[in-house]
Amino acid sequence: MTSTLSFRSLLTAALLLLIPTAGCKQSSEPTAAAKPDGAAPATTGGKKKKIAYVTNGVDPFWNTATAGVRAAEKEFGVECEVLMPPKGIVDQKRMVEGLLARGIDGVAISPIDAKNQVGLIDAIAERCPVITHDSDAPDSKRLCFIGMDNYNAGRAAGRLVKEALPKGGKVMLFVGRLEQLNAQQRRQGVIDEVLGRPVPAAGKLSYDPPGKSLSAGAYTVVDTRTDNFDYSRAKANAQDAMASIPDLDCMVGLFAYNAPQCLEAAREAGKLGRIKIVSFDEANAVLEGIRDGHVHGTISQQPYYYGYHSVRILKGLANGDKSVLPANGFQEVPTVEVRRANVDQFWTDLKKMQAAGQ
Amino acid sequence: MKKLLGIFGLLVAVFALTSIANPQFVSAYNLQNLIRWTSLFGIISIGAAFVIITGGIDLSIGSTIGLVGSMMAWLLTQKGWGVGPTLAAVMLCSLAIGLAHGLLITKMRLQPFVVTLCGLLLYRGIARFLTDDQSQGFGNSHDTLRQLAIGKLPISGGFALPAPLFILLGIAALAAVFLNLTVAGRHLLALGRNETAARFSGIRTDTLKIVAYVLCSGLAGVGGILFSLDLNSIQPSGLGEFYELYAIAAAVLGGCSLRGGEGTITGVIIGTAVMRVLYNAINILGIPTHLEFAIIGAVILAGVMTDEWVKRFAARRRAARERAEGATA
Repeated sequence: MTSTLSFRSLLTAALLLLIPTAGCKQSSEPTAAAKPDGAAPATTGGKKKKIAYVTNGVDPFWNTATAGVRAAEKEFGVECEVLMPPKGIVDQKRMVEGLLARGIDGVAISPIDAKNQVGLIDAIAERCPVITHDSDAPDSKRLCFIGMDNYNAGRAAGRLVKEALPKGGKVMLFVGRLEQLNAQQRRQGVIDEVLGRPVPAAGKLSYDPPGKSLSAGAYTVVDTRTDNFDYSRAKANAQDAMASIPDLDCMVGLFAYNAPQCLEAAREAGKLGRIKIVSFDEANAVLEGIRDGHVHGTISQQPYYYGYHSVRILKGLANGDKSVLPANGFQEVPTVEVRRANVDQFWTDLKKMQAAGQ
Repeated sequence: MKKLLGIFGLLVAVFALTSIANPQFVSAYNLQNLIRWTSLFGIISIGAAFVIITGGIDLSIGSTIGLVGSMMAWLLTQKGWGVGPTLAAVMLCSLAIGLAHGLLITKMRLQPFVVTLCGLLLYRGIARFLTDDQSQGFGNSHDTLRQLAIGKLPISGGFALPAPLFILLGIAALAAVFLNLTVAGRHLLALGRNETAARFSGIRTDTLKIVAYVLCSGLAGVGGILFSLDLNSIQPSGLGEFYELYAIAAAVLGGCSLRGGEGTITGVIIGTAVMRVLYNAINILGIPTHLEFAIIGAVILAGVMTDEWVKRFAARRRAARERAEGATA
């Protein structure tokens, strides 16, 4: 009993100590309750504008984007908070609501579910300028979209596959989640390019259902396996693909972490170089693999510029300057195809960008 | 042992059906992978079993794995620590976590569910804070250390036994001896069945419970080390997420009762194997991955139901036989 009491009193003492500091923090920050209508007071005057960059999750990809944010912060003299929701849509909503309650001068967001998050994006638009990056929500009131055309990027990856397998072969795709529009478009781009289908007219993109083997000419796209962002599942998926299809020729990782896990699996199976690997994004393991000749190539989206342009455009919008908005509301960030020939240069540039962002 | 027949039957059935449907399932390469994953998950499941046997629960296993894995890579690659000090630090950290759980549960009389749920949040948060939420990895370095997870011992015909299997076997042997052949182990089972009775019989229930939580977190720490060495790419926010559920499910499938007092180490390993074989079979058979949770849930439920029916049928037959014998006597 005495030990229980002493624990309790310690806890109480700790809590009592915490309360005054918590109070100080609250008073220094404006809250939603500061205005009777609940709208947050915008920071004005000579103070630095405060903007926010919201990602769709936690990933090395977003670290590079953050580097772009940091560089632009310095260049344009704004303060930008980077928020990475760890648990998907619910966390993203919670974080955005927190931002709106505290007061913010502009938000760049990568919607996780473009169709069903229109309400959330419109709610931001009522308070401050909002733009989308990486993944678009065209039906919302966002002012512009910064990103790449995922279907075309998929086709570019498909070209890398054909380059790696000039005589054809069996290809397997790996991705975190297929619910996301960018994943679906990328996947379809790879499939259409590998199977030699024509580019569909704008808005006429149709998707092949997963779980069906597709063949044309010498190429077969066997299937697409998902892992729900669990790295050990991602690795097991690659191992299982090699086990069930002993003559598998190529593995394509559609998300940044997929190809590194394919690479690990291929290394352990002693199939390095025999199984071609094509990747998206620029994880260190992938760049290393390209340099060593174990990964054929990768499609970089240049996320650094997602961050950079987001801050640049939001800074302009926060000052009421609409001329920063791109034509048609689409700021395209071109993709870069990284192969053995240009990997060293690419990696050096990437490191420089990341250093500049710190 | 009889209690394990049901779950062992399920394992054999899934194994047989999958290998008939696709012979690649029993290829050396696939079996090696299966054994490696079963070993990694088996280690954390044995830890979970100890806590479940005391009638408790540990929901923080996944976060402990995440913290240990991230911390290890962070210390080795970012802080330049040596292998020895790093391993010692992360193991001490996981044992301290278990000790804290045990003390809070026994001395402060907090509920295990609450303590370990808070742990789940706390350790994940610390892992993300320490590493700045940046992915960690060993790159091409520490290949010798990585052999603990990815190394293999060649046997014959291209078949090799993965290194984690030996770690699992060592841990399982020690755990089985502790649980079955030592006084403390028998006391642990007794305390799980009826804590008050055990305490009145002079068993030091608090100490034993603390030991169970320390073992659980310690094994989660070993799991964290091995998982991160195996994956070579560690996401502080994601490594080990939900693994506590895999561990608890494997322990319960293997015959541990959530009410405490029951469980065997062999059962836990078979339970783990069932889960891994199911995941693997789904991939090998080319069943769409979005169906995997549904299939695993359905197969396990069907297995557990059959097991229960068989037990009841046997009990009824035994009762009938005893009645008949009573009538003739």
